[in-house]
Amino acid sequence: MNVEIAELTRRFGRTQAVAGVTLELGPGVFGLLGPNGAGKTSLLRMMATVVPPSSGRIRLLGRDPGGYGPRRQIRRRLGYVPQNLGFYPRFTVVEFVEYFALLKEMPAARVSRAVATAVERVGLGDKATAKLRTLSGGMLRRVGIAQAIVNEPDLLLLDEPTAGLDPEQRVAFRALLRDLGQQATVVVSTHLVEDVGAACGRVALMDQGRIAFDGTPDELTARGEGTGAAGDAPLERGYSAVLAQVRS
Amino acid sequence: MAALHLASRRVPAAVLAVLVCAAGLRFALRWEWDAYGALQLPLIFETGCAVAIAVTAASPFGEPERATGRWLPFLRLGSTLALTAVAVAALTAARSGDLVAVLRDTGGLTGVGLLCAAVFGGALAWAGPTGYLVVAVYAQYSLWHPPALSTPWIWPARPPLDTGGAVCAGLVFLAGVALVASRGARDVTAT
Amino acid sequence: MTGRLLRLELRNNVVPWLLPLVAGLFWLVTYRTSMAYPPLWNVRAMTMQNSSLAVFVPTVVGAAAWLGSREGRHGIAELVTGSARPRWHRQLAAWAATTCWSIVAYLGCVAVLYVATAREGAWGGPLWWPAVVGAASLPAFSALGFAAGALRPSRFTPPLVAVAAFLALEISAQFIHGDHSRWQISPVVSNLWSIGPDAGIATFYPYLPDLPIAQLLFLAGLTAALLGLLGLPAGAGGAGLRRSAAVLTVAGVLSTGAAIGLAGTARLDPHGLIAIPALHDAADDLPVGFTPACAEAALPVCVHPAYRRYLPALVDGLRPVLAELAGLPGAPVRIEQVAAEYEHEGGNDVSIRRSGDSVSGSPPVFNVLLPTRPSSDEIRATLGRDIVQHLTGGGRGAGAAQQAVTDALAHTGDLTPGSPAARFAALPAAERRAWLTAHLPALRSGQLTLADLP
Repeated sequence: MNVEIAELTRRFGRTQAVAGVTLELGPGVFGLLGPNGAGKTSLLRMMATVVPPSSGRIRLLGRDPGGYGPRRQIRRRLGYVPQNLGFYPRFTVVEFVEYFALLKEMPAARVSRAVATAVERVGLGDKATAKLRTLSGGMLRRVGIAQAIVNEPDLLLLDEPTAGLDPEQRVAFRALLRDLGQQATVVVSTHLVEDVGAACGRVALMDQGRIAFDGTPDELTARGEGTGAAGDAPLERGYSAVLAQVRS
Repeated sequence: MAALHLASRRVPAAVLAVLVCAAGLRFALRWEWDAYGALQLPLIFETGCAVAIAVTAASPFGEPERATGRWLPFLRLGSTLALTAVAVAALTAARSGDLVAVLRDTGGLTGVGLLCAAVFGGALAWAGPTGYLVVAVYAQYSLWHPPALSTPWIWPARPPLDTGGAVCAGLVFLAGVALVASRGARDVTAT
Repeated sequence: MTGRLLRLELRNNVVPWLLPLVAGLFWLVTYRTSMAYPPLWNVRAMTMQNSSLAVFVPTVVGAAAWLGSREGRHGIAELVTGSARPRWHRQLAAWAATTCWSIVAYLGCVAVLYVATAREGAWGGPLWWPAVVGAASLPAFSALGFAAGALRPSRFTPPLVAVAAFLALEISAQFIHGDHSRWQISPVVSNLWSIGPDAGIATFYPYLPDLPIAQLLFLAGLTAALLGLLGLPAGAGGAGLRRSAAVLTVAGVLSTGAAIGLAGTARLDPHGLIAIPALHDAADDLPVGFTPACAEAALPVCVHPAYRRYLPALVDGLRPVLAELAGLPGAPVRIEQVAAEYEHEGGNDVSIRRSGDSVSGSPPVFNVLLPTRPSSDEIRATLGRDIVQHLTGGGRGAGAAQQAVTDALAHTGDLTPGSPAARFAALPAAERRAWLTAHLPALRSGQLTLADLP
């Protein structure tokens, strides 16, 4: 298992963002759904070792991120795209991805090829030398994905990765996710249920800091059948049905 | 609306910075300084105030704010003038007078900063007044060590009631205020 | 890997964008001021050290602070926090890139000034210590700005820290009183502050490295302490790295303190430079060898080769006087420039006088100290008069006859018509010379009165 979480909580002041989550994730693509404020981003940030948990147990890639040494080891094999992606406007695409390759302590001999591969995989090969300040929002999102996959991570965490991508790019991105999920654990937090349906083999639905559903997309779809829940697509109806059930 | 605009530009922090500069000048003027120190100290603290005012020109919102209605130029104008007035008042109080010199120097320096904000962006607005400070300090030094660098465009080295210096400082201030009020600081971030 | 990171930071640093501003300010404030001095390495290099930091410090501090706050300003903090490389490492890479560019810019500006000075034929080699101290200041001030920006990533930090650094630099020299002030550790100080860049130092005797060494110790300590501070917070790295940062901080503070303490033991040496006993090398007290530059004006007139350009003015000024005195009993056979001697007299007062006696050797050589602005008229009025007074016994306490002959021979052209001095000056040169040959010893000893004058 690449991710082992038991009764994980995270509190920010008086706000309980994550209120006891238990998960075990191996290779594959795992979708994380939920309304705004459900705790998805906080959970992702703990898995990205950006914030420590308030309580509970977490092991990533077989290590406890509580210690500096193991945490550093985890981060070398981690890829993370946060929800709010910042960038250095004067860097070029290649420089930005290279910067993060170096921060991830990739062996120097591998950096150049890895950067070129990552940039090509997100479809920005012809923009490799463009300054980031000249790129559109969707392209910047793809740059963010490129920096996350440059080190061929064993654990890839993506928070709203398809925001700003056009439909064609979203299709390509889902294919990329499936490809990456062959070996790595990919966790995708998103509001777009069609992304989950197309790319994820397993999906969890969070609400108020807890896991309300954990299963396959088909199982989530089945939860919405015959319930009259809101939604234009079967997966959306399953999503609404689960939330309604949890809140009733 | 004005209060929100001021908060978005970190104007309260700028006011604090201005008051700290004025207090620093007041404290410093209690000491005895030689001629260089006595002349240069007020200018340095005036520059501190000017850079604090200049960086408030930067907008944190970018394009969404530019696509709003007619109030934005007036808000920019009002906040800039108000901050400059606070700086002039605080520095004049710190110097126990010399309103004319403070008004000229601080206004001119602020104008330099605002022009930089309009051209290079709010984040780099401080480079202009800081560079001008170096030139002005040198010009003051050259009054004792000729040849004097004497042009009304370096107004801190001119006598307080010098008309040329006041006109130049005033023009720079007005130009900076007009540019920032009408166009705002240059937005250098990509969207 | 570190080199690659540094290359990336160098390519995207903000300092190159500020180079036109820096170059313009350097030209206006430093280059013009230095080049207004005669081509002497001492005054130009020391002026450069004093004024160039006023140009570079606020620029470098502001740029470094801007860079230090980069992660916060661009919203990238979360992303880099989750990376493997310790924060301190990536901060050091960004700081190093800023420092490298700043030093390149500084040395480029210094090179322009030094090349221009060398092409004007300045004697001796360039004075390197002022340039070294200036260059060593940049890592320290860059670290100051970077630490401020990293620890407080606000839009106000770069400008206020830049202005504050300029303020600290400018007022640091205001606190210097006397030759043992600890404030002399400030990198803008190249010699005793109350003297300023003086044309009389570091030519006959070498430029003392005592104060520059103490300043380097101070600046290195400051750099280490500030960079170490960045490595102390919990998120900077692992325990080992943070321990290293703590050691660096402590070492930096100790070095800074030691340097300040050394500056407090400084004293003005007789050659006009600051000596620090613990750092002083006695070999630096030995004079620098040179071959004097000489010209003829009835007598050989010789100056140190560094002041060669003043020789025509010196000869012009002394020619009328020497034409009168050459060959007379007791007259010097040669005029030679000697070094100045400096003595601290309490507070910021320093006396500057000729080193040694006015006359030395046998046959006698008359030793002169060049005035600050050596024009022919000033030389005639000062040095010329000194030479005459040596022969006639004129000067303070002189008799009327001695004073009249001195006034006549000094050729300063301000004689009252009909006065004894005017009458003596109006004599034919041969008659005047014959009288002096016969009566000079008696005149010098004060035995003559006005009635004895022709």
